[in-house]
Amino acid sequence: MSIFPENAYNAYNAYNAYNAYNAYNAYNAYNAYGAPGNQSALLSGAFLSTHDGITGAQLDPVGQVCPGAANDVRNLPRLAAGVRAALYQAELGPTVDITFETDGLQPQAVLWRRATESGRRRAFVFDRMVEMSAPTVDQFQTQMALVSGYAQIRPDRSAEILTQVSAPLPFYTTIGFIDPARTPYTIELIHAALGFATAVTQRMKYALAAKRPVLFSPQIQPMIATPTHGSLPSGHATEAFLMARLIWKLLKASGVRQYTENEYWGEMLMRLAARIATNRTVAGVHFPVDSVAGAILGCTLAEHVASQCCGGEWSSASFEGTNFDAHHDFDWHQIYRVKEDRMESQARSGRGIWMQSAQQRCAPDFETPAVLSWLWGKALDEWQDISLDAG
Amino acid sequence: MNRWTETPDPNAADILDHTSDFRLSLAVTQQPDGADQAWWSVLIELADASIDMFETAARTFSADLLIPVAYDPADRARVFARQPVAIYARLPLIEALNKRSNGYHVVALQLGAITPAKYLDHAAVGPDLSAIAVSADTVVMAVVDDGIAIAHDLLRKDPEHSRVEHATVFEALPVAGGPCSVGRALGKAEIDEILTRSTFNALLDEDVFYRDTGVVDWRARSVSPVARQASHGTLVAGLAAGHDMQAGCDIRPVICAALPARLVEDTTGLDSLPLLYLAFHILLKQARRFQLPDGNCAPVIFNFSFGNTGGPHDGTGLFSTLFEHYFGPQGALARDQQKAWLTLPAGNINLARLHAVARGRKPTQLSLSVQPDDRTPSLVQIWMPSDPSQTHPGLVSVQVTTPAGQSGSITSKPGQSTSLVDDEGVEIARLACQYQGGATQRALMTLSLSPTAHLAGQPPLAPAGNWSLEISTANIAHDQQVHVWIRRDETLPGTRSGGRQAWFSNSDYERFDPFGLPLAVDPPLTDCPIRRSGSLSGFACGASPLVVAAFSEREARLSGYSAAGPLAARAPGSAAARSGPDLAALGDDSHLMRGVRGAGSRSGSSARMSGTSVAAPRVARYAAEQIRDWHGETADWSRWAVEHAPFHLKGGDDVSRTGAGGVRIDV
Repeated sequence: MSIFPENAYNAYNAYNAYNAYNAYNAYNAYNAYGAPGNQSALLSGAFLSTHDGITGAQLDPVGQVCPGAANDVRNLPRLAAGVRAALYQAELGPTVDITFETDGLQPQAVLWRRATESGRRRAFVFDRMVEMSAPTVDQFQTQMALVSGYAQIRPDRSAEILTQVSAPLPFYTTIGFIDPARTPYTIELIHAALGFATAVTQRMKYALAAKRPVLFSPQIQPMIATPTHGSLPSGHATEAFLMARLIWKLLKASGVRQYTENEYWGEMLMRLAARIATNRTVAGVHFPVDSVAGAILGCTLAEHVASQCCGGEWSSASFEGTNFDAHHDFDWHQIYRVKEDRMESQARSGRGIWMQSAQQRCAPDFETPAVLSWLWGKALDEWQDISLDAG
Repeated sequence: MNRWTETPDPNAADILDHTSDFRLSLAVTQQPDGADQAWWSVLIELADASIDMFETAARTFSADLLIPVAYDPADRARVFARQPVAIYARLPLIEALNKRSNGYHVVALQLGAITPAKYLDHAAVGPDLSAIAVSADTVVMAVVDDGIAIAHDLLRKDPEHSRVEHATVFEALPVAGGPCSVGRALGKAEIDEILTRSTFNALLDEDVFYRDTGVVDWRARSVSPVARQASHGTLVAGLAAGHDMQAGCDIRPVICAALPARLVEDTTGLDSLPLLYLAFHILLKQARRFQLPDGNCAPVIFNFSFGNTGGPHDGTGLFSTLFEHYFGPQGALARDQQKAWLTLPAGNINLARLHAVARGRKPTQLSLSVQPDDRTPSLVQIWMPSDPSQTHPGLVSVQVTTPAGQSGSITSKPGQSTSLVDDEGVEIARLACQYQGGATQRALMTLSLSPTAHLAGQPPLAPAGNWSLEISTANIAHDQQVHVWIRRDETLPGTRSGGRQAWFSNSDYERFDPFGLPLAVDPPLTDCPIRRSGSLSGFACGASPLVVAAFSEREARLSGYSAAGPLAARAPGSAAARSGPDLAALGDDSHLMRGVRGAGSRSGSSARMSGTSVAAPRVARYAAEQIRDWHGETADWSRWAVEHAPFHLKGGDDVSRTGAGGVRIDV
């Protein structure tokens, strides 16, 4: 018996991923163009000598200059992408707060959503958006059997795992037609969401301090470096499901026929997210239950970002780790429904309810931050079909 | 210091099968506390007895015996002159059976593999064998292989309906009280039901399907090849029986059995023969369910794309006789008049240096290179010439010398044995002789070596390095030969067994021609005892299967690895069952683009695999189109196929390698 995995095909996959990364890098370079550090000394010297050569005598005032449009989204297209990215974070960051509670059996991290503002002293009310508690050490120990099992397909998945170490946006470009030239604002939107989610996820991880598989067994030997932050929720799962759901929301909102007549794109986006999350278990740096918590957080944050951009509904969710059956694997179908773009209202095991979610409406007086609404509109425009048959 | 001595077991001369005994004692030494509790698959051969008679005789060991429910009451009641039966047993029973003087009607025994108790169901009730009405042009495709992706779109007729009518998955947790004593058996209704509930938004989530069918169980220590991008069984099943889902094919129902992956914990080696017998028994019963409108059973094509270096290689081995046992004139199923063909690969070890021949007046020297870091035993079979005499005079002597120079020797007189022991007296190697009766009628010498490595450094460990075998054949007739085979012991890609293949490393073996191309046939004047000729898979030596060699299309030559006949000579007056493979089919696109494309483990994906393993199912596919109207022997059909769909092979007149010639079969 001979078995030869299709190496050439694997290499081709890796090549695709690499190309996509190049594109992503090109986008970064575009960002960096406007950064102060990018000034060329030679160019500055040339500007100086040119100035000296042609400026001549000082002019009188040259005429009236109109004041800038204060706090106006019309400025945004003229800003460097990096500047816009800072604005998005400035808008999104204050929309949440995170606290840590130790009332129950397991410590609980709570992600709060800023609700309404009142008065000149800016007093805010916050709603509980995500409540998350980790499983017990015994549950993680039980999950080690799954981590060991998944380790056996590392050779199959190594190209994916290595190219997904940093945020794996390039993989999403294989499902949605995302490209720096074609959809620059979609990429900005995704990065704004990812940047926001990173801070939230890290704070949740810090609060729960769940230990990594490598601390449970010397035989896991992860195939990549184990990150120093906590294991649950999985940051990759959070990001992967956040991206998948945001892109799916754009596709659905586009009204384009192939995206709205069936759920194929949404299903595929979620499968991709699940595979990215699972690959981290294959690599040996995450438990499946980390992906469960990450998927819940990611789906919730996607809804939150969308609601900050467009208003409408947001999701509240909870994950109670102790009620998760540690013999069970991660299965995203228990968490999210593609067709309705809704999180499941409840998921339970023999131990009890481990996930709950509910749709919440934004307050009637909620105003979406103009910067974010502008970004969403620009991103959505990129998904409008261009066809003689349109409409 | 290691030394050769009498085999520690005082009753060594009474041992039925030394390799099995050696592996059992290795298990006891490695795990003294748990050895009694481990379940093993075992193939026993009963003489003049029924299964019921055997069970009654062995009733004192009833707690250590599981007779699979695949043997129904009628099977259990029938008495045959000789009858192989696959059972599950624990150490106390196996040791009792593995004696020539056993009182349980057992005349031959072959140890399979350790089987975790969680996969056994002692309360199984037996399978559904109700008739399935099919159209007149139906041919059943039966595939026995490792992981088979039964949800693959090539094996479905629409998104939520499978073409797989039955699948036995030996390495899956049983459903309590189910139809299968080991693993899980899935019928079409259950497969379809799981397909439906694994489909979300019109897309089948295959990860969910394989989880819910138990095919992929991440908590298990071994993981089905179906979890990987490429799986042998999927590609083979696709070639043999895959059809575009949109075509809605319903004249090629599929029945299949997925053999287990090698267990990491089982460091005593593995023999798949017991499970193979059980798989065939299960599928033969399933195949009989398909009823044509005229009331007869639909024809069935079996494909089994595995090879083996063990056995007498003369057509009398246990596997070679499997088909005859069921379909021969006195066979277990002959009365049903079901037409059944079996396609088998010729084997891939032509260039692997696992086969040698000793003959002539001068002793034959063989250098056996035993690898370091080999965590499973290395096993060598030395088959004597046919000897139907009652006296078995023991005319051949074999001396084995360790890398450190200690020599031990025995003659081919059955019952002789000598063991290499370490300073503590623990056995680390055994050279023994036993007689294989029945149709084989040869003495078999086995050399069994312990692993050369253990992660905890736990003995017994045999020394790695060059062992030497000196085989003296001066006392046998000048035209008689002794065939030597090294058993397969390697780690396949994607598995973790830790085996490393020993090989013959004589310096006079010529590997390349003057232009640097590997020599695919033995040089004409060579004296080297290592032989490519006669390297045919031990499974493929029977008369009735269609045995398939592999060719490389671009070069229009047989692939170098494709194994060759002829078979070992049988007793005077007995004709050889075959001279080599029957025909050759595509195994490689070219020497550089090895292998052929076929089904990957997930719908829509593809993989590349090479070998006679992928040539055989191609012939199975073609044979399915012909079996209904062919009334002659399969060997005649292969000649017809070569004439009807020829693929011209350069140097294709070497019958022992190519059989009737190359055949072009488009898939």
